[in-house]
Amino acid sequence: MIIAEQKPLDEILEMISGIEKLLILGCRGCVAVCSTGGDKEVGILASALRLGRKKAGKPIEIDEETYVRQCDPEYLEPLKEDGKKYDAVLSMACGVGVNFIADLCPEVNVLPALNTSFYGANLSSGEWAEMCAGCGACVLHLTGGLCPVARCAKSLSNGPCGGSVGGRCEINKDLPCIWHQICEKLTGRNQDQLLREIVPIRDWRPSGHGGPRRRIREDLLP
Amino acid sequence: MVNVELMSEQMNNNQQIGKITAFCCNYTASVATDTLREAGLIPESLDVKKLPCTGRIEVPALLDAFEQGAEAVFVAGCRADGCHNLSGSRRAEKRVGYTKKLLKELNIDPGRIEMFFVHCGETQPIVEAVREMTARISKLERLHST
Amino acid sequence: MISGSNLEQILTSGQFTVTGELGPPQNGNFDVVRDKARILKGHVDAVNITDCQTAIVRMSSLTAGLIALAEGVEPVMQMTCRDRNRIGIQSDILGASALGIKNLLCLTGDHQKFGNHPQAKGVFDMDSIQLLGMVKAMRDDKKFQCGDEIKSHEPKLLLGAAANPFADPFEYRPIRVAKKVEAGASFIQTQIIYNVEKFAKFMEIVRDLGLHEKVYILAGVTPPKSVGMARYMKKFVPGLDVTDEVIERLKGAKDPKEEGINICVDIIKQVREIPGVAGVHVMAIEWEQAVPEIVSLAGLSPRPGAKTVEPRLRSFEAIELIVSNAKEDAKAEIEKALEKSKAEAQASRDLVTKEKERVTSEISDLKRQAEEAKAIASQKETEIERLNAELAKTKAWQGHAQVVKGLAEKRESSALSGREKSALTSLRSGLEALSKGLGINEDQLEAMRRFFEAEFLLHMDTAEQVTVPFEEVTAPSEKLEKPEAEARHKEVVNLVAKGNVLLHKNDSAGALDAFEKALAIEPEDQKAGEGLKKAREALKIAAPAEEAVAPAVPEGVPPCPEGLSTEEWQRKWVIRLVARGNVCLHKGDVKGALKAFKLAIELEPEDEKAKAGLLKAESKETAPVSVPAEPEVPEKAEVPPTPKPKAAPVTEELKAEAKKEAPVPTVPTGIEDLSVAELPKETRSLFERAGSVPRNLFTESFTGAIREVSLDEGEKALTIGGASTLPFHLFEGDMPNALRVAYEVLDSEPEDWPDVLGKYYSDVFSDPVAWARKCVDDYGAEAICLSLVSTDPNGMNRPSSEAAKKAQSVIDGVDVPVILWGCGNAEKDTETLREVTGLVGNRKVCMGPLSDANYRSLGATAMAFHLPVVASTPIDVNLAKQLNILLENLGLSLDQILMDPSIGAIGYGIEYSYSVMERIRLAALTQQDEKLQVPFICNLGREVWKTKECRLPSDAHMGDQERRGVLMEAITASTLLLAGGELMVMMHPKAVALTEALIKGMM
Repeated sequence: MIIAEQKPLDEILEMISGIEKLLILGCRGCVAVCSTGGDKEVGILASALRLGRKKAGKPIEIDEETYVRQCDPEYLEPLKEDGKKYDAVLSMACGVGVNFIADLCPEVNVLPALNTSFYGANLSSGEWAEMCAGCGACVLHLTGGLCPVARCAKSLSNGPCGGSVGGRCEINKDLPCIWHQICEKLTGRNQDQLLREIVPIRDWRPSGHGGPRRRIREDLLP
Repeated sequence: MVNVELMSEQMNNNQQIGKITAFCCNYTASVATDTLREAGLIPESLDVKKLPCTGRIEVPALLDAFEQGAEAVFVAGCRADGCHNLSGSRRAEKRVGYTKKLLKELNIDPGRIEMFFVHCGETQPIVEAVREMTARISKLERLHST
Repeated sequence: MISGSNLEQILTSGQFTVTGELGPPQNGNFDVVRDKARILKGHVDAVNITDCQTAIVRMSSLTAGLIALAEGVEPVMQMTCRDRNRIGIQSDILGASALGIKNLLCLTGDHQKFGNHPQAKGVFDMDSIQLLGMVKAMRDDKKFQCGDEIKSHEPKLLLGAAANPFADPFEYRPIRVAKKVEAGASFIQTQIIYNVEKFAKFMEIVRDLGLHEKVYILAGVTPPKSVGMARYMKKFVPGLDVTDEVIERLKGAKDPKEEGINICVDIIKQVREIPGVAGVHVMAIEWEQAVPEIVSLAGLSPRPGAKTVEPRLRSFEAIELIVSNAKEDAKAEIEKALEKSKAEAQASRDLVTKEKERVTSEISDLKRQAEEAKAIASQKETEIERLNAELAKTKAWQGHAQVVKGLAEKRESSALSGREKSALTSLRSGLEALSKGLGINEDQLEAMRRFFEAEFLLHMDTAEQVTVPFEEVTAPSEKLEKPEAEARHKEVVNLVAKGNVLLHKNDSAGALDAFEKALAIEPEDQKAGEGLKKAREALKIAAPAEEAVAPAVPEGVPPCPEGLSTEEWQRKWVIRLVARGNVCLHKGDVKGALKAFKLAIELEPEDEKAKAGLLKAESKETAPVSVPAEPEVPEKAEVPPTPKPKAAPVTEELKAEAKKEAPVPTVPTGIEDLSVAELPKETRSLFERAGSVPRNLFTESFTGAIREVSLDEGEKALTIGGASTLPFHLFEGDMPNALRVAYEVLDSEPEDWPDVLGKYYSDVFSDPVAWARKCVDDYGAEAICLSLVSTDPNGMNRPSSEAAKKAQSVIDGVDVPVILWGCGNAEKDTETLREVTGLVGNRKVCMGPLSDANYRSLGATAMAFHLPVVASTPIDVNLAKQLNILLENLGLSLDQILMDPSIGAIGYGIEYSYSVMERIRLAALTQQDEKLQVPFICNLGREVWKTKECRLPSDAHMGDQERRGVLMEAITASTLLLAGGELMVMMHPKAVALTEALIKGMM
């Protein structure tokens, strides 16, 4: 899922400095699952902003709402009208939600409350790690299911760099060297041949370097 | 009981310091506050809110207490190894910790909120808690103008 | 020859090769590079020009390489993938080739995190191996990476790559070298070697792979400048193996620099002996001066002369301009001279006629002058050419030299926020304890119970009051209208029950009173008489003991609760007494305080707090008391409603609030009456009430109907099911049979029933027959569900035959239908239930639960005796249907089956049960799913009464425990009724009464 992190409160307070009536809009999608933008976090942010503004002597009126998702047009439908009632809508969705609101509700002043971080997995309660870079050209069948694009600091294609020591990445000892793991996994499965073959230079177009990406399925189009 | 008297005096002397909101576990801390209350020792500025378990407390409730005029907030739950609901007070402790982080981001002294662990029925820790929080806010500027 | 470079010539000649390293400056200073190049010149065969090494911004490797080249030192240009994408790299390679660079070392590059711009976006369009492949293809296939042709002047570069024999995984390193060779590397330079042994092992694998024959391997060496530097490299440079021996040697040395050089020379000598090593790469980082000495000491000098090193860069335009200018200058001078000579010639011509002889001599003179002028012009041209060369050199560098100086800064490691390991561990252990606590592990159960009881006792003052429910039996206003005799009988039964409960609770006086009242109403009541006798006896025993304690200790030590040792309990009680004493003392109630402290000291003579309190109290006793004393210790339950004297300056408002929050007065006390008022019945039909709303708007027609299942035969037989509509939708269809409630009876004494439930049955706990009869006779049970809990192999594990006999006596003892509910262990239930069916004769008892594990054997038995069964499945529509089909296949009729969909109490998953039941029922009624047209049985009482909420004691917050439990059971039942449940199995008589009132009111 998409992992996000809330912006620091002072940054948000700065963002809403002229705002008197605000809607904090959560999303029950990924950001709710990674405990950043669901109902609970909407409540916390609203309380914190109210307190912050009261302390600054400029009380603010805040409404709280959480949509099922902010990345499908049908869920955003009510916001087109409701959003006009507010000086701004502070979206607690990922960047997708903020953009989509800006696209679909031109009269709404939408602001981001989160920094969208990465595609990751929930390692344990309160801990997430990047697992996929959304590069659009998956090579996981060649690397024992472990992604060198997302999980190697240099996105190497042909094995670990010279900084790999003791299975740790040279840029951060807390990170495993994913290529070390790939080597071990493939060797263990008698797939070492994959480690000897030269992986050709990548085509980065599917990863977004070919411009904003769009996907179409003819059979599903209205 | 000497301490209770002290607290009472201190807090009544310092009533201009402002409101302290206490979230108390119904099974431990509340017994103590009840005892103190029956003795007429709960000072005016202490606002006691009872909870079935401090583990139930959520961050917005703690923040809202400040927004509603508290100068300091504390949560008094069971001892960590003696929680009625096993881990309730430990959860409360974490949420108090998170609230501290938010207060810091809001440029509010994180010392204005604290977690206390209380033996069932003992008044002393509550007295200590109130004194501690009173001492802390007396050193700080008022959060709310009177 | 690939590129024809000096390096290539020496490598291919088989001589031991020496390369050096030159780090460009962090500025645009031409001289720094030139000076370093001059130091190295003649001592190495080629020099690596690093490409922003460790990601610190420096003069570009291409530019610095060209400066070196101009000095006659052959550069090995380094190229990393960190800062350029394939467009930038190829472009630079073309430029480098054009300007005479012939060696290229292809690297992935150090991560930008290590440098002075950690915020930079790393490009990493490709890795070093892919880079080698790309440049090789440009050279050999004359193709750009995209496949386009390089029509002419393809870059002819000798390609090199790096290898680190000390990085992990070690075994993979030679393989990676092989990949680099395959991709296009002609030579390999290794990471700095200190651990020669490990490097030798690496070379062994390299030789095994035959790589030494395909590629020239240059061993990397570095003279350590100091111990500090060696330690730094050991600690902080990933993949650098500095041995302890090296550090020791430096530590012990008088002149560490000299020792550093010696170490380096020793290593060179050692690696030279390793087969397959083609040379060394000396990296004297910011210590280029050491290189000549090292090379010489290693016996590697002199180096063969550089034959092919020459700069190619010339600014031809500039040269042309200067040359043409010089030509023009010369021409002008010649013309000037010519003109002068012409004028002179003219003048002389004038004189020609006059002086012919002089003319001839003059002409020859002029010719000589012209010759001289020409000589000067040509001399000037040579001078210009010389200047020109100098100028061109300088100008060429200016175009490249824009180097930004930045501040070095190191990013702190650990970007990841660390785990809260301890928190996780404790969370896990908390959950573990909870799950165990809810399970049947005896130790855990015991622990939980101790915990609850301790809690309960600490709330003694409030709880004492609220758990004695029959303080005053007042006739409730909403009592059902009944014939007087029946009412009297009921009253007597109630009183007797109450008496028994009180007796059980050691309240003999209360019991005596209850029995006497009962006898007053019905003097002939045998049970009441018996009870009275018992109560009197108990009172006699209790009286002297009470008297002995009463005068000295009015409160006494309450009986030690189960789960606490006497010592523990006594200690707790002392703490309470001291607290009480302190409070009394503060309020001026010296007597109360004295009493409490004395009692505390009596129990615990060493208690310091109590002693201190006593002293204080005694001192106050003699002093005049300023505050009026209160008659009673405030913790006592009966707080008088009169306002308390002010002991501290507390405002009236707060006091009022305090009173409001004080737990005692607000707690409703127990269940006083088991009867329930009738629900007001709606007399008008829905259609009437709907007025003009068309019927089809709110009615649904159902095509299916639920089957009818008969429980038992004869007068008290019950028929379950038969509905052709959703529950209570009587405007849409029929519910021919009432929804029913069965009382659960256990075949052994329950271990963990809360007192508020147990008190109704505690007198009959030991006798299931009497229990069942009590349910029927006293509480009007329409059916009994006998739980064979005693047979559980994980519990008492009573033999099947014994349990069967007990069950038989219950079945024989009541005339209402009986449902036999096994312990849930499929095997044991099969055994026990079969045993029972053999004993019961003609009674059509219902058997359950049948699960997928034992439906065959029990199904067969049921078929043989034509008994109804309970088909039990774990909350799933399809599993429920499947079991019905299996039973039908076995030969059972669906008319014999009651479905148990598995029930959760309210707050414990009831919505799940509800949803599954609703879907089953809708499938049965609207989709004619015949296999699901079977009534439901919901065994809910046990689920409700095991919840935590039913076990917590009464207090102001949670209210009265008994009411709480009753409401939970009744609400669970009503929810399940609405979901379609036909037969409820319940426990608390009041909850049953509420449920039955609901059924009556709704039908």
